[in-house]
Amino acid sequence: MAESTAFPLISKSDFEDACTELSALFAKHSTLQQEWLSVEVETRNGIKFLKIAKPLREFESAQGGDHVLRRGNGLEMEEEVEEDEEALANPPSGQNAVIEYDIILSPSYQVPVLYFNIKDPLFRYPPTMKTLYQHLVSPYFKPQAERVSVIGGITVTDHPLTNTPVFFIHPCQTVAVLEASRGIQELIPREYLMLWIGALGGCVGLHLPIALAEK
Amino acid sequence: MSGPRDLPSRLRQNTWNGSIPLEIRLNPGDCRTYNESDPYLIQFPRLSYLGLLLPRIHAFFSSSLIFPDVLPTEAWVSYEDVPLKWHYPLGLLYDLYSGTDPAYAPDEEEEGRVVAVEPWKLMVNFSEYPVEHLVKLDADGKVLHDLFINNVKEADYLRNGTGRPVMSLSEKDSLQLWDSVKLHNFTLFNPINQKLLNPQGVALRHLPVKLYLPHAAPEESESGKAADTDKENHPGSLRVVQQLITTTLSSRQPQTIGTALNQILPSLFPSRRIVVLAQAVLHGAVLPLSASVEDLVRAASYLDGWLHIAVVMLA
Repeated sequence: MAESTAFPLISKSDFEDACTELSALFAKHSTLQQEWLSVEVETRNGIKFLKIAKPLREFESAQGGDHVLRRGNGLEMEEEVEEDEEALANPPSGQNAVIEYDIILSPSYQVPVLYFNIKDPLFRYPPTMKTLYQHLVSPYFKPQAERVSVIGGITVTDHPLTNTPVFFIHPCQTVAVLEASRGIQELIPREYLMLWIGALGGCVGLHLPIALAEK
Repeated sequence: MSGPRDLPSRLRQNTWNGSIPLEIRLNPGDCRTYNESDPYLIQFPRLSYLGLLLPRIHAFFSSSLIFPDVLPTEAWVSYEDVPLKWHYPLGLLYDLYSGTDPAYAPDEEEEGRVVAVEPWKLMVNFSEYPVEHLVKLDADGKVLHDLFINNVKEADYLRNGTGRPVMSLSEKDSLQLWDSVKLHNFTLFNPINQKLLNPQGVALRHLPVKLYLPHAAPEESESGKAADTDKENHPGSLRVVQQLITTTLSSRQPQTIGTALNQILPSLFPSRRIVVLAQAVLHGAVLPLSASVEDLVRAASYLDGWLHIAVVMLA
Protein backbone atom coordinates (compact mmCIF):
# COMPACT_ATOMS: atom_id res chain seq x y z
CA MET A 1 0.00 0.00 0.00
CA ALA A 2 2.47 2.53 -1.21
CA GLU A 3 1.12 5.99 -0.56
CA SER A 4 2.07 8.82 -2.78
CA THR A 5 3.76 11.33 -0.56
CA ALA A 6 4.40 14.30 -2.76
CA PHE A 7 4.75 17.76 -1.25
CA PRO A 8 3.20 19.00 0.96
CA LEU A 9 3.06 15.51 2.48
CA ILE A 10 6.25 13.76 3.53
CA SER A 11 7.04 10.06 3.74
CA LYS A 12 8.29 8.38 6.89
CA SER A 13 11.75 7.76 5.47
CA ASP A 14 12.12 11.33 4.18
CA PHE A 15 10.95 12.65 7.51
CA GLU A 16 13.46 10.54 9.39
CA ASP A 17 16.22 11.67 7.02
CA ALA A 18 15.21 15.28 7.61
CA CYS A 19 15.42 14.81 11.38
CA THR A 20 18.84 13.19 11.16
CA GLU A 21 20.15 15.89 8.83
CA LEU A 22 18.89 18.78 10.92
CA SER A 23 20.30 17.35 14.13
CA ALA A 24 23.66 16.76 12.39
CA LEU A 25 23.63 20.32 11.09
CA PHE A 26 22.95 21.57 14.59
CA ALA A 27 25.72 19.44 16.08
CA LYS A 28 28.16 20.97 13.62
CA HIS A 29 27.18 24.60 14.01
CA SER A 30 25.60 24.82 17.44
CA THR A 31 28.22 27.23 18.71
CA LEU A 32 27.19 29.80 16.12
CA GLN A 33 23.81 30.32 17.73
CA GLN A 34 22.18 30.72 21.13
CA GLU A 35 18.59 30.10 20.25
CA TRP A 36 18.49 26.32 20.71
CA LEU A 37 20.00 24.17 23.43
CA SER A 38 19.81 20.85 21.65
CA VAL A 39 18.43 19.08 18.61
CA GLU A 40 18.18 15.32 18.99
CA VAL A 41 16.63 12.49 17.04
CA GLU A 42 14.81 10.33 19.55
CA THR A 43 13.11 6.98 19.24
CA ARG A 44 10.12 5.94 21.24
CA ASN A 45 7.93 2.91 20.65
CA GLY A 46 9.95 2.38 17.49
CA ILE A 47 9.02 5.82 16.14
CA LYS A 48 11.66 8.41 15.33
CA PHE A 49 11.06 12.07 16.00
CA LEU A 50 13.00 15.28 16.48
CA LYS A 51 13.31 16.98 19.85
CA ILE A 52 14.44 20.59 19.95
CA ALA A 53 15.03 22.27 23.29
CA LYS A 54 15.41 25.96 24.02
CA PRO A 55 15.42 27.97 27.23
CA LEU A 56 12.12 29.51 28.27
CA ARG A 57 12.26 33.26 28.03
CA GLU A 58 9.48 35.46 29.27
CA PHE A 59 7.85 37.91 26.88
CA GLU A 60 7.21 40.42 29.56
CA SER A 61 10.14 40.02 31.89
CA ALA A 62 12.72 40.60 29.17
CA GLN A 63 14.32 43.91 30.02
CA GLY A 64 13.83 46.63 27.42
CA GLY A 65 14.69 45.46 23.95
CA ASP A 66 12.41 44.91 21.06
CA HIS A 67 11.47 41.43 22.20
CA VAL A 68 8.99 42.87 24.63
CA LEU A 69 5.72 42.50 22.83
CA ARG A 70 3.53 44.76 24.85
CA ARG A 71 -0.13 44.38 24.39
CA GLY A 72 -2.04 46.90 22.37
CA ASN A 73 0.96 47.91 20.36
CA GLY A 74 0.19 45.97 17.25
CA LEU A 75 2.10 47.86 14.65
CA GLU A 76 5.48 47.69 16.28
CA MET A 77 5.19 44.03 16.98
CA GLU A 78 4.73 43.13 13.43
CA GLU A 79 8.27 43.75 12.27
CA GLU A 80 10.11 42.44 15.27
CA VAL A 81 8.74 38.99 15.83
CA GLU A 82 11.66 37.19 14.31
CA GLU A 83 14.40 39.56 15.34
CA ASP A 84 14.96 38.82 18.95
CA GLU A 85 18.72 38.62 19.26
CA GLU A 86 18.79 41.33 21.87
CA ALA A 87 16.55 39.38 24.16
CA LEU A 88 18.61 36.28 23.57
CA ALA A 89 21.70 38.05 24.75
CA ASN A 90 20.04 38.78 28.09
CA PRO A 91 18.28 35.71 29.27
CA PRO A 92 16.35 36.49 32.43
CA SER A 93 18.19 35.17 35.43
CA GLY A 94 16.85 32.48 37.70
CA GLN A 95 15.16 30.61 34.89
CA ASN A 96 16.02 27.09 34.09
CA ALA A 97 12.81 26.00 32.54
CA VAL A 98 13.19 24.62 29.05
CA ILE A 99 10.71 24.48 26.17
CA GLU A 100 10.77 21.12 24.46
CA TYR A 101 9.45 20.93 20.92
CA ASP A 102 8.75 17.45 19.59
CA ILE A 103 8.28 17.23 15.86
CA ILE A 104 6.44 14.00 15.09
CA LEU A 105 5.16 12.68 11.79
CA SER A 106 1.39 12.21 11.92
CA PRO A 107 0.41 8.85 10.44
CA SER A 108 -3.01 10.26 9.59
CA TYR A 109 -2.10 13.58 8.01
CA GLN A 110 1.36 12.54 6.77
CA VAL A 111 2.82 15.87 7.76
CA PRO A 112 4.93 16.65 10.82
CA VAL A 113 3.01 17.86 13.86
CA LEU A 114 4.45 20.11 16.54
CA TYR A 115 3.98 19.05 20.16
CA PHE A 116 5.56 21.13 22.88
CA ASN A 117 5.64 21.75 26.58
CA ILE A 118 7.70 23.41 29.27
CA LYS A 119 10.01 21.18 31.25
CA ASP A 120 10.51 22.80 34.61
CA PRO A 121 12.06 21.27 37.72
CA LEU A 122 9.56 23.24 39.83
CA PHE A 123 6.51 22.32 37.71
CA ARG A 124 5.53 25.97 37.43
CA TYR A 125 4.12 25.67 33.91
CA PRO A 126 1.48 22.95 33.66
CA PRO A 127 0.02 22.40 30.20
CA THR A 128 -2.98 24.70 30.44
CA MET A 129 -4.31 27.39 28.16
CA LYS A 130 -3.13 29.95 30.70
CA THR A 131 0.46 28.74 30.45
CA LEU A 132 0.13 28.69 26.68
CA TYR A 133 -0.81 32.32 26.31
CA GLN A 134 1.35 33.62 29.14
CA HIS A 135 4.57 31.90 28.23
CA LEU A 136 4.52 30.31 24.80
CA VAL A 137 2.38 32.10 22.23
CA SER A 138 3.70 35.57 21.67
CA PRO A 139 1.00 38.18 22.21
CA TYR A 140 1.28 39.13 18.55
CA PHE A 141 0.00 35.72 17.48
CA LYS A 142 -2.63 35.36 20.16
CA PRO A 143 -5.62 36.72 18.24
CA GLN A 144 -4.70 34.60 15.24
CA ALA A 145 -4.25 31.45 17.31
CA GLU A 146 -7.48 31.95 19.18
CA ARG A 147 -9.65 32.55 16.15
CA VAL A 148 -9.89 29.01 14.77
CA SER A 149 -11.67 25.91 15.97
CA VAL A 150 -13.32 25.53 19.37
CA ILE A 151 -10.74 27.26 21.53
CA GLY A 152 -8.02 28.07 19.05
CA GLY A 153 -5.55 26.42 16.74
CA ILE A 154 -3.16 25.55 19.56
CA THR A 155 -4.51 23.45 22.38
CA VAL A 156 -3.66 20.69 24.81
CA THR A 157 -3.72 17.04 23.88
CA ASP A 158 -1.99 13.82 24.83
CA HIS A 159 1.45 13.40 23.30
CA PRO A 160 1.16 10.56 20.77
CA LEU A 161 4.20 8.75 22.17
CA THR A 162 4.31 9.55 25.90
CA ASN A 163 0.50 9.86 26.21
CA THR A 164 0.89 12.75 28.66
CA PRO A 165 -0.59 16.24 28.19
CA VAL A 166 1.27 18.66 25.94
CA PHE A 167 0.44 21.56 23.66
CA PHE A 168 0.08 21.03 19.97
CA ILE A 169 -0.70 22.92 16.80
CA HIS A 170 -3.69 21.41 15.07
CA PRO A 171 -2.39 19.76 11.93
CA CYS A 172 -5.46 20.18 9.77
CA GLN A 173 -4.22 23.49 8.36
CA THR A 174 -0.62 22.40 7.89
CA VAL A 175 -1.02 21.30 4.29
CA ALA A 176 -2.48 24.64 3.28
CA VAL A 177 0.19 26.56 5.18
CA LEU A 178 3.00 24.57 3.59
CA GLU A 179 1.57 25.02 0.13
CA ALA A 180 1.42 28.74 0.67
CA SER A 181 5.03 28.85 1.89
CA ARG A 182 6.60 26.80 -0.81
CA GLY A 183 8.89 28.30 -3.40
CA ILE A 184 9.32 26.85 -6.84
CA GLN A 185 12.26 24.55 -6.29
CA GLU A 186 12.21 20.93 -5.26
CA LEU A 187 12.98 20.44 -1.60
CA ILE A 188 15.31 17.92 -0.08
CA PRO A 189 14.04 16.51 3.25
CA ARG A 190 16.06 18.88 5.41
CA GLU A 191 14.77 21.89 3.46
CA TYR A 192 11.24 20.60 3.85
CA LEU A 193 11.68 20.47 7.61
CA MET A 194 13.22 23.96 7.68
CA LEU A 195 10.33 25.29 5.62
CA TRP A 196 7.91 23.58 7.99
CA ILE A 197 9.60 25.10 11.05
CA GLY A 198 9.52 28.52 9.41
CA ALA A 199 5.86 28.20 8.50
CA LEU A 200 4.52 26.73 11.74
CA GLY A 201 7.00 27.26 14.55
CA GLY A 202 7.07 31.04 14.76
CA CYS A 203 3.82 31.49 16.62
CA VAL A 204 5.06 29.36 19.51
CA GLY A 205 8.65 30.57 19.58
CA LEU A 206 10.30 27.91 17.47
CA HIS A 207 12.57 29.77 15.08
CA LEU A 208 15.29 28.29 12.96
CA PRO A 209 18.50 29.97 14.13
CA ILE A 210 19.83 32.17 11.36
CA ALA A 211 23.24 30.53 11.62
CA LEU A 212 21.65 27.22 10.68
CA ALA A 213 19.39 28.61 7.99
CA GLU A 214 22.42 29.93 6.16
CA LYS A 215 24.23 26.60 6.10
CA MET B 1 -40.24 3.43 12.70
CA SER B 2 -39.83 -0.30 13.18
CA GLY B 3 -36.82 -1.54 15.10
CA PRO B 4 -33.69 -2.03 13.06
CA ARG B 5 -33.46 -5.54 11.67
CA ASP B 6 -30.24 -5.70 9.75
CA LEU B 7 -27.15 -6.66 11.66
CA PRO B 8 -25.20 -3.39 11.25
CA SER B 9 -28.10 -1.29 12.52
CA ARG B 10 -28.64 -3.63 15.41
CA LEU B 11 -24.97 -3.52 16.27
CA ARG B 12 -24.98 0.27 16.05
CA GLN B 13 -27.97 0.38 18.38
CA ASN B 14 -26.46 -2.06 20.86
CA THR B 15 -23.20 -0.16 20.86
CA TRP B 16 -25.07 3.07 21.45
CA ASN B 17 -27.04 1.58 24.35
CA GLY B 18 -24.09 -0.04 26.08
CA SER B 19 -23.59 1.31 29.58
CA ILE B 20 -21.67 0.63 32.76
CA PRO B 21 -22.84 1.03 36.36
CA LEU B 22 -20.52 3.31 38.28
CA GLU B 23 -20.11 3.71 42.00
CA ILE B 24 -18.11 6.83 42.62
CA ARG B 25 -16.85 7.67 46.09
CA LEU B 26 -15.28 10.86 47.29
CA ASN B 27 -11.61 10.69 48.21
CA PRO B 28 -11.67 10.66 52.04
CA GLY B 29 -8.93 13.29 51.99
CA ASP B 30 -11.33 15.69 50.28
CA CYS B 31 -14.29 14.81 52.48
CA ARG B 32 -15.36 16.85 55.53
CA THR B 33 -16.49 13.72 57.33
CA TYR B 34 -13.67 11.50 56.11
CA ASN B 35 -15.54 8.55 54.62
CA GLU B 36 -19.08 9.26 55.63
CA SER B 37 -20.32 10.56 52.30
CA ASP B 38 -22.68 8.50 50.16
CA PRO B 39 -21.41 7.18 46.86
CA TYR B 40 -22.63 8.64 43.60
CA LEU B 41 -24.33 5.91 41.59
CA ILE B 42 -25.04 6.14 37.89
CA GLN B 43 -25.52 3.93 34.88
CA PHE B 44 -23.36 5.75 32.34
CA PRO B 45 -23.07 5.16 28.57
CA ARG B 46 -19.94 3.36 27.43
CA LEU B 47 -19.61 5.77 24.51
CA SER B 48 -19.77 8.89 26.67
CA TYR B 49 -17.07 10.77 28.54
CA LEU B 50 -16.36 11.16 32.24
CA GLY B 51 -15.54 14.76 31.40
CA LEU B 52 -19.25 15.33 30.80
CA LEU B 53 -20.08 13.76 34.15
CA LEU B 54 -17.57 15.65 36.32
CA PRO B 55 -19.77 18.74 36.85
CA ARG B 56 -22.59 16.50 38.10
CA ILE B 57 -20.25 14.57 40.37
CA HIS B 58 -18.98 17.87 41.75
CA ALA B 59 -22.54 19.07 42.41
CA PHE B 60 -23.38 15.81 44.16
CA PHE B 61 -20.40 15.98 46.52
CA SER B 62 -20.20 19.74 46.99
CA SER B 63 -21.80 19.66 50.45
CA SER B 64 -19.32 17.01 51.60
CA LEU B 65 -16.16 18.78 50.48
CA ILE B 66 -13.60 20.09 52.94
CA PHE B 67 -13.17 23.10 50.70
CA PRO B 68 -16.68 23.75 49.37
CA ASP B 69 -15.39 26.43 47.01
CA VAL B 70 -13.21 24.05 45.03
CA LEU B 71 -14.03 24.35 41.34
CA PRO B 72 -15.50 21.47 39.33
CA THR B 73 -12.46 21.76 37.09
CA GLU B 74 -10.28 20.46 39.93
CA ALA B 75 -12.15 17.17 39.88
CA TRP B 76 -10.53 14.03 38.56
CA VAL B 77 -11.52 10.42 38.72
CA SER B 78 -9.25 7.52 39.53
CA TYR B 79 -9.46 3.77 39.66
CA GLU B 80 -7.09 2.27 42.17
CA ASP B 81 -3.96 4.35 41.47
CA VAL B 82 -4.82 5.18 37.88
CA PRO B 83 -5.94 8.72 37.03
CA LEU B 84 -8.58 8.16 34.34
CA LYS B 85 -8.40 10.23 31.19
CA TRP B 86 -11.79 11.92 31.18
CA HIS B 87 -11.61 12.51 27.44
CA TYR B 88 -11.40 8.77 26.67
CA PRO B 89 -14.77 7.10 26.24
CA LEU B 90 -15.84 5.38 29.44
CA GLY B 91 -16.06 2.02 27.68
CA LEU B 92 -12.44 2.21 26.62
CA LEU B 93 -11.34 3.03 30.17
CA TYR B 94 -13.39 0.13 31.47
CA ASP B 95 -11.98 -2.31 28.93
CA LEU B 96 -8.45 -1.17 29.76
CA TYR B 97 -8.51 -0.95 33.53
CA SER B 98 -11.49 -2.62 35.18
CA GLY B 99 -9.99 -6.09 35.03
CA THR B 100 -13.36 -7.47 33.99
CA ASP B 101 -13.12 -10.35 31.55
CA PRO B 102 -14.33 -9.35 28.11
CA ALA B 103 -17.27 -11.17 26.57
CA TYR B 104 -17.01 -13.64 23.73
CA ALA B 105 -19.50 -13.91 20.88
CA PRO B 106 -22.69 -15.29 22.44
CA ASP B 107 -24.90 -17.92 20.89
CA GLU B 108 -27.91 -16.63 19.01
CA GLU B 109 -30.29 -17.49 21.84
CA GLU B 110 -28.14 -15.80 24.40
CA GLU B 111 -28.18 -12.49 22.62
CA GLY B 112 -30.05 -9.87 24.51
CA ARG B 113 -29.78 -11.61 27.85
CA VAL B 114 -29.11 -9.33 30.73
CA VAL B 115 -25.88 -9.91 32.59
CA ALA B 116 -25.60 -8.54 36.08
CA VAL B 117 -22.54 -6.35 36.15
CA GLU B 118 -20.88 -5.22 39.34
CA PRO B 119 -20.59 -1.45 39.51
CA TRP B 120 -17.16 -0.13 38.65
CA LYS B 121 -15.90 1.43 41.87
CA LEU B 122 -14.18 4.72 41.16
CA MET B 123 -12.93 7.57 43.29
CA VAL B 124 -13.35 11.26 42.63
CA ASN B 125 -10.61 13.58 43.86
CA PHE B 126 -10.67 17.35 44.31
CA SER B 127 -7.04 17.98 45.19
CA GLU B 128 -3.58 17.25 43.82
CA TYR B 129 -4.68 17.29 40.20
CA PRO B 130 -2.22 15.09 38.30
CA VAL B 131 -1.29 17.77 35.76
CA GLU B 132 1.54 15.60 34.48
CA HIS B 133 -0.86 12.87 33.41
CA LEU B 134 -4.25 14.42 32.76
CA VAL B 135 -5.35 17.28 30.60
CA LYS B 136 -7.07 19.91 32.73
CA LEU B 137 -10.80 20.35 32.22
CA ASP B 138 -12.13 23.89 31.83
CA ALA B 139 -15.31 25.42 33.20
CA ASP B 140 -17.23 25.40 29.90
CA GLY B 141 -16.19 21.95 28.71
CA LYS B 142 -14.47 23.50 25.72
CA VAL B 143 -11.31 21.47 26.15
CA LEU B 144 -13.31 18.27 25.87
CA HIS B 145 -15.20 19.63 22.88
CA ASP B 146 -11.89 20.56 21.26
CA LEU B 147 -10.31 17.15 21.86
CA PHE B 148 -13.44 15.50 20.50
CA ILE B 149 -13.60 17.61 17.36
CA ASN B 150 -9.92 17.02 16.66
CA ASN B 151 -10.53 13.30 16.74
CA VAL B 152 -13.55 13.68 14.48
CA LYS B 153 -11.49 15.66 11.98
CA GLU B 154 -8.66 13.18 12.02
CA ALA B 155 -11.02 10.25 11.51
CA ASP B 156 -12.68 12.12 8.65
CA TYR B 157 -9.32 12.83 7.05
CA LEU B 158 -8.35 9.17 7.30
CA ARG B 159 -11.59 7.91 5.80
CA ASN B 160 -11.54 10.34 2.88
CA GLY B 161 -7.81 10.24 2.56
CA THR B 162 -7.40 13.12 0.20
CA GLY B 163 -5.40 16.24 0.80
CA ARG B 164 -8.50 18.34 0.58
CA PRO B 165 -9.50 20.37 3.60
CA VAL B 166 -11.21 18.35 6.26
CA MET B 167 -14.59 18.94 7.76
CA SER B 168 -17.18 18.48 5.14
CA LEU B 169 -19.57 19.28 7.96
CA SER B 170 -21.33 22.57 8.19
CA GLU B 171 -21.16 24.61 11.36
CA LYS B 172 -24.70 23.52 12.17
CA ASP B 173 -23.94 19.83 11.71
CA SER B 174 -20.82 20.16 13.77
CA LEU B 175 -22.75 21.72 16.65
CA GLN B 176 -25.48 19.11 16.35
CA LEU B 177 -22.83 16.39 16.58
CA TRP B 178 -21.45 17.86 19.80
CA ASP B 179 -24.96 18.28 21.22
CA SER B 180 -25.69 14.65 20.43
CA VAL B 181 -22.60 13.67 22.39
CA LYS B 182 -23.46 15.85 25.37
CA LEU B 183 -27.06 14.62 25.44
CA HIS B 184 -26.23 11.09 24.28
CA ASN B 185 -29.02 11.47 21.75
CA PHE B 186 -28.99 8.99 18.87
CA THR B 187 -31.60 10.88 16.85
CA LEU B 188 -29.28 13.88 16.73
CA PHE B 189 -26.15 11.80 16.26
CA ASN B 190 -27.10 9.36 13.54
CA PRO B 191 -27.75 11.68 10.57
CA ILE B 192 -24.43 13.45 11.09
CA ASN B 193 -22.59 10.19 11.57
CA GLN B 194 -24.10 8.84 8.35
CA LYS B 195 -22.94 11.91 6.47
CA LEU B 196 -19.41 11.42 7.77
CA LEU B 197 -19.37 7.71 6.99
CA ASN B 198 -20.71 8.15 3.48
CA PRO B 199 -18.90 11.04 1.85
CA GLN B 200 -20.38 11.71 -1.55
CA GLY B 201 -18.68 9.91 -4.38
CA VAL B 202 -15.74 8.73 -2.33
CA ALA B 203 -14.93 5.23 -1.18
CA LEU B 204 -13.37 5.04 2.26
CA ARG B 205 -9.59 4.92 2.02
CA HIS B 206 -8.22 4.46 5.50
CA LEU B 207 -9.87 3.26 8.66
CA PRO B 208 -9.54 5.18 11.92
CA VAL B 209 -8.26 2.63 14.42
CA LYS B 210 -6.24 3.23 17.57
CA LEU B 211 -4.79 0.44 19.66
CA TYR B 212 -4.21 0.90 23.38
CA LEU B 213 -1.60 -1.26 25.05
CA PRO B 214 -1.13 -1.26 28.79
CA HIS B 215 2.57 -0.76 29.44
CA ALA B 216 2.81 -4.13 31.12
CA ALA B 217 2.44 -5.63 27.67
CA PRO B 218 5.79 -6.52 26.15
CA GLU B 219 7.25 -3.91 23.86
CA GLU B 220 7.39 -4.52 20.19
CA SER B 221 10.88 -5.64 19.34
CA GLU B 222 12.49 -2.51 18.03
CA SER B 223 15.29 -2.29 15.59
CA GLY B 224 18.22 -1.08 17.57
CA LYS B 225 18.06 -0.22 21.21
CA ALA B 226 15.03 1.33 22.76
CA ALA B 227 16.10 4.88 23.42
CA ASP B 228 13.27 5.73 25.74
CA THR B 229 14.78 8.51 27.74
CA ASP B 230 12.34 8.86 30.57
CA LYS B 231 10.01 5.95 30.93
CA GLU B 232 6.75 7.30 32.23
CA ASN B 233 5.54 3.99 33.51
CA HIS B 234 3.24 5.48 36.09
CA PRO B 235 0.23 3.37 37.02
CA GLY B 236 -2.06 2.89 34.08
CA SER B 237 0.30 4.32 31.49
CA LEU B 238 -0.54 3.27 27.98
CA ARG B 239 1.08 3.01 24.65
CA VAL B 240 -1.23 4.22 21.90
CA VAL B 241 -0.49 2.81 18.47
CA GLN B 242 -1.81 4.07 15.19
CA GLN B 243 -0.90 3.32 11.61
CA LEU B 244 -2.56 3.77 8.25
CA ILE B 245 -5.00 0.93 7.75
CA THR B 246 -6.47 0.50 4.28
CA THR B 247 -10.01 -0.77 3.76
CA THR B 248 -8.83 -3.65 1.62
CA LEU B 249 -5.58 -5.55 1.26
CA SER B 250 -3.82 -5.30 -2.05
CA SER B 251 -5.32 -8.65 -2.99
CA ARG B 252 -8.81 -7.13 -2.81
CA GLN B 253 -9.51 -9.01 0.37
CA PRO B 254 -11.17 -6.85 3.00
CA GLN B 255 -8.99 -5.72 5.86
CA THR B 256 -9.88 -7.78 8.92
CA ILE B 257 -9.04 -7.21 12.55
CA GLY B 258 -6.61 -10.12 12.19
CA THR B 259 -4.80 -8.71 9.16
CA ALA B 260 -4.65 -5.22 10.66
CA LEU B 261 -3.31 -6.37 14.03
CA ASN B 262 -0.83 -8.67 12.37
CA GLN B 263 0.43 -5.74 10.30
CA ILE B 264 0.70 -3.30 13.21
CA LEU B 265 1.67 -5.50 16.17
CA PRO B 266 3.16 -8.64 14.65
CA SER B 267 4.83 -9.74 17.88
CA LEU B 268 1.52 -9.76 19.76
CA PHE B 269 -0.54 -10.98 16.80
CA PRO B 270 1.73 -13.38 14.92
CA SER B 271 -1.28 -14.98 13.23
CA ARG B 272 -4.00 -13.30 11.19
CA ARG B 273 -6.54 -15.95 12.12
CA ILE B 274 -5.74 -17.37 15.52
CA VAL B 275 -5.42 -15.55 18.80
CA VAL B 276 -2.04 -16.47 20.24
CA LEU B 277 -0.82 -13.96 22.82
CA ALA B 278 -3.29 -11.12 23.02
CA GLN B 279 -6.84 -10.26 22.13
CA ALA B 280 -8.50 -7.12 20.87
CA VAL B 281 -11.38 -5.82 22.97
CA LEU B 282 -14.00 -3.33 21.81
CA HIS B 283 -17.12 -2.35 23.78
CA GLY B 284 -16.41 -5.08 26.29
CA ALA B 285 -16.29 -7.84 23.70
CA VAL B 286 -13.42 -9.77 22.20
CA LEU B 287 -13.24 -8.96 18.49
CA PRO B 288 -13.19 -11.94 16.17
CA LEU B 289 -10.05 -11.72 14.05
CA SER B 290 -12.16 -12.38 10.97
CA ALA B 291 -14.30 -9.25 11.46
CA SER B 292 -14.05 -6.69 8.69
CA VAL B 293 -12.54 -3.46 9.99
CA GLU B 294 -14.68 -1.35 7.69
CA ASP B 295 -17.87 -3.04 8.89
CA LEU B 296 -16.81 -2.33 12.46
CA VAL B 297 -16.01 1.30 11.70
CA ARG B 298 -19.46 1.69 10.20
CA ALA B 299 -21.39 -0.10 12.91
CA ALA B 300 -19.39 0.07 16.11
CA SER B 301 -17.08 3.05 16.15
CA TYR B 302 -17.00 5.43 19.07
CA LEU B 303 -18.68 8.83 18.81
CA ASP B 304 -15.55 10.45 17.37
CA GLY B 305 -15.54 7.95 14.50
CA TRP B 306 -12.62 5.88 15.81
CA LEU B 307 -12.36 2.27 16.79
CA HIS B 308 -10.52 2.58 20.11
CA ILE B 309 -9.40 -0.98 20.72
CA ALA B 310 -7.89 -2.25 23.97
CA VAL B 311 -5.21 -4.86 23.49
CA VAL B 312 -5.43 -7.32 26.36
CA MET B 313 -2.82 -9.98 27.00
CA LEU B 314 -4.05 -13.52 27.44
CA ALA B 315 -3.37 -14.79 30.93
